[in-house]
Amino acid sequence: MEALAFIGVALAIALPALGSALGQGNTAGHAMEGIARQPEAANDIRTTLLLSLAFMEALTLFSFVIAILLWTKIG
Amino acid sequence: MGNKVAELAAVMEHLKPTVVFYLGPIPVSTTVVTTWVVMAVLVVIALVTTRGMRLLPRGWQHLPEMTVEFIYGFLEGFMGKRGRRYLPLVATLFIFILCLNLSWLIPGAKPPTMDLSTTLALAVTTIIAVQILSIKDVGLRRYLQTYTSHGLLLTPLNVLEELVKVVSLSLRLFGNMFGEETVVTILFILVPLVVPATIQLLGVLFGFIQAFIFTLLTISYLAARTSEHH
Repeated sequence: MEALAFIGVALAIALPALGSALGQGNTAGHAMEGIARQPEAANDIRTTLLLSLAFMEALTLFSFVIAILLWTKIG
Repeated sequence: MGNKVAELAAVMEHLKPTVVFYLGPIPVSTTVVTTWVVMAVLVVIALVTTRGMRLLPRGWQHLPEMTVEFIYGFLEGFMGKRGRRYLPLVATLFIFILCLNLSWLIPGAKPPTMDLSTTLALAVTTIIAVQILSIKDVGLRRYLQTYTSHGLLLTPLNVLEELVKVVSLSLRLFGNMFGEETVVTILFILVPLVVPATIQLLGVLFGFIQAFIFTLLTISYLAARTSEHH
């Protein structure tokens, strides 16, 4: 039964990381396209990019916290 | 190899805040002590760099001027000239969280934002301040309208969103700093030489970004609650 808890912790880290990586990669790609198209807007784009990355990262971090909680309760 | 497994099992112990002394009945942990040290350093720097302050800055006065200008740039970008009123709150948040995160560079210190208490306190204070500031500035009626403006059905969701902001602000900062410290601790057990220090440097960069994000989000929440057209 404990094995399932370990698998749970691993999945709790892996799946959100996957989703976040896909989303953030997409965003960064589009941001680079935007900067390449219009270098004068680079500062604005960079600020918005960082803001959006933080939002996506936050979702991963929520599951990270749950995973840590679960990890400390095993055994 | 077996030794390393035992050490890895003790990682959790290293990551918990330890109580250093008791002020009467209240336990004071390393988190609080580090926060006090950071506060003292910031106060001293503020006093020293603004001694004999003049309109055209010279010497050390440039440091606070640059910092305030940097933050005011973002405030103006989001809210225009009326953002000037919120500069104290926003600048304090940025400088304080940035220095808390940078305290990781002191050998042996763990950043206080690694403790959920610190980040939760910061988030709760910030969101309450946003509500109070916006009520003071646009009046109770317009403030309430920002919740109800999208229809009756969405009003409870808007209220809930405000509470979720507390959770997300605190967990974002906590998760980043706690995660970095966890990674560095585990790396330290596995590869004690160059690698943990490099990752710690990356962690400091992330600390910088997280302080920036916290501040930027606060500015955007303020802008949303005090917006003028509805």
